[in-house]
Amino acid sequence: MSHSEETRQQLDPVRPGEQWFCYWKTSASLWEARIQEFAPHEIIFIPLYWGFHAESDGSWDFGKYLAERDLGRLIQVLTQHGRKYCWLLPLTPAPFLPNGGVPINAARIMSISKPGMHLACLDQDNVLHKMYSFFEPKVFQNFAGFVAAFGNLLSQTKARAPVWGAEFSYKEEGKTVSFLHDQSLAFEQGFSRYLKKNQPPSEELSNSQAEMTLKSAFEKDLASLLSTMAQDALAPFWAGSKEIVIFGSGPKDTIQRAIASGKSQVDYFKDLFDCYVHHRWFSTCLLTSKEKKQLLKRCLEEHFDNAEIEHRFHYLAEAAEPGAEFRPFALMDLFDQSHPEIFQQNGLKEFLGQHYRWMYYQHDKLDFTPEWIDSSHQRIKFFHSVSMDRTLFAQALKLFMMGQTIIIDRSELADDLDKRLQIFFLENNLKIQSVNFMTSIQLCELGEGRLILFEGQKLKSQGDPLKFWDQLFRFFKLTHPVVQSDSEIFSLWRIRATSPHELNYLDVRRVNLYNPTSYKKAVHVHTQKKFAFMKVIDPLHATAKTTPEGVEIELLPNGKLALDFGHYEERR
Amino acid sequence: MNGLTLIYHFQSSQNQDQEFRPASYRVIYFFNDEGFVEQATLVELLKAFPEAGADGMTFLNLDDLKAFALRVGQELQSPQVKLISVQDYNIGLDGAKDLTSYRELFSKYGEALMSETVVKKKGLLGKIFS
Repeated sequence: MSHSEETRQQLDPVRPGEQWFCYWKTSASLWEARIQEFAPHEIIFIPLYWGFHAESDGSWDFGKYLAERDLGRLIQVLTQHGRKYCWLLPLTPAPFLPNGGVPINAARIMSISKPGMHLACLDQDNVLHKMYSFFEPKVFQNFAGFVAAFGNLLSQTKARAPVWGAEFSYKEEGKTVSFLHDQSLAFEQGFSRYLKKNQPPSEELSNSQAEMTLKSAFEKDLASLLSTMAQDALAPFWAGSKEIVIFGSGPKDTIQRAIASGKSQVDYFKDLFDCYVHHRWFSTCLLTSKEKKQLLKRCLEEHFDNAEIEHRFHYLAEAAEPGAEFRPFALMDLFDQSHPEIFQQNGLKEFLGQHYRWMYYQHDKLDFTPEWIDSSHQRIKFFHSVSMDRTLFAQALKLFMMGQTIIIDRSELADDLDKRLQIFFLENNLKIQSVNFMTSIQLCELGEGRLILFEGQKLKSQGDPLKFWDQLFRFFKLTHPVVQSDSEIFSLWRIRATSPHELNYLDVRRVNLYNPTSYKKAVHVHTQKKFAFMKVIDPLHATAKTTPEGVEIELLPNGKLALDFGHYEERR
Repeated sequence: MNGLTLIYHFQSSQNQDQEFRPASYRVIYFFNDEGFVEQATLVELLKAFPEAGADGMTFLNLDDLKAFALRVGQELQSPQVKLISVQDYNIGLDGAKDLTSYRELFSKYGEALMSETVVKKKGLLGKIFS
């Protein structure tokens, strides 16, 4: 690819990244040429700008009045060129669309964020898009009309491309906030109506906590209503909903991106790696070419390419064993049941942050499918009893029976689950070892499976929970190179099977190291006498030298490199 | 954008959980052209304002908020601190269409406070170095 072509692609609002094609941003006469710019094997994601199709009389135009609205023709072009594609239907305000995607006649009340500020986002052309409340009844009516009309259009074509519901969100102060979240008058009025329906008039809201819980339930109900409505109208094509974090779209981001210094690469790396750990999909569609430069661009290309996108949207199943190609590698799975703070409270997140940064995945629910169970077999699973229901508890125990290592913080284990656990021990004739180290620990083994239960709450009163985790992780005997680096150095591990000429190794692990700061940084990779350093790949402003303990790396500002290690541990 | 900008939220008095909560002014964002003021710096400087609520930097009156803003200005050697209420921010945002007009919001709206200490210091330094 020539330099000029590369630069043009970066600045291209029609293809802003992550294989998106924004059809409304270019002339329909150029669609064919623009689609051919995608690599033939890439799935094309087409976000729907639903407000763009609205006519003033309440009807929906799919090409009768404006060629750029002709989705039938777009389907024809895609089919003609044999392209794989899917639609992204916004189920929340979309920060990259004017009015958040809402038709002009329904854009009445602006969305308000938690601190009381109107929500607005700067796109890559520096245009300010204001978000309008989805709690406005007119938006709901319009959305219903659009999905019905779009469903009709799809059913008239022979194409069978899936439609994904997209729930857009932003990152702020380490939290992920949905663009549906709103504190505007439209929300408050909707909430009053909701209360009248759902709260008996005799029962007054007793406290602010109860009010917050109900407001959250109201928001979830609307999200579910929009999703169900879309699913019903688009039934044969509906693939499910995906949360998509839009980088640079939060209220703080908008200010930061407007001031002279802009949002730093380090901050974008933090957002990106947080999404990686939480297994969330993201979009860089708002970022300007200046923002999506240097290391960020390289990291996106190296780790979040077509194969990764297809994995996340379930177009590719992950094999149980590593294949010939590198794939993301993690050692642990954390299940937080939508309470992301719980592993912070028992000190696990802090420990992982120090010793296994970005080597774990945090999930809000367990995807108990045979494919996922097989592909995640080697990862240690951490559960917390907060909000744990019978199904999740039973699934965790099943994973243990399948030979996996399961750790449960039982601090708030419900009585019925506790009883169930005792029955489980009895039924399977399991020997329980009880240990007291900083807290009470129960351990049992069955074949290769290990089940460890502990009282996480007691760790708080014992001073340093890190000691507990340190001891527990020694017990797991994890074999993996240890990376010692500054907190602003970002690393991602991948794994692949050995090729025929590497028979001496069990597998090959690659670490990519990135220094998005403007300082020189040193990194040490300790091979633990289980890994042999193989080679350096694509160093950029970086050097590496071997030492008896491993590899010492020097990363200059905006430096990066990758290192391959052969794993030669004896099989047990 | 000259100097520091503070965006604050005014919350009127209310009865919450059978408790009276007086009106308050809460710091939302504090930044200048180089970025956001670090939370640790704000928390440290807040120690000199015992009347400020520990839960999210709230002040019971605007004068206290202004005094705090000026103290941060002094610490960061910024002669001017601009205070913009969320309401003003929202009005400004309504009229903004792009990056340029959005940036103008921060100069058009709000109240500019001048830190005399910093101005004097700067003046003195200016005399020395000119």
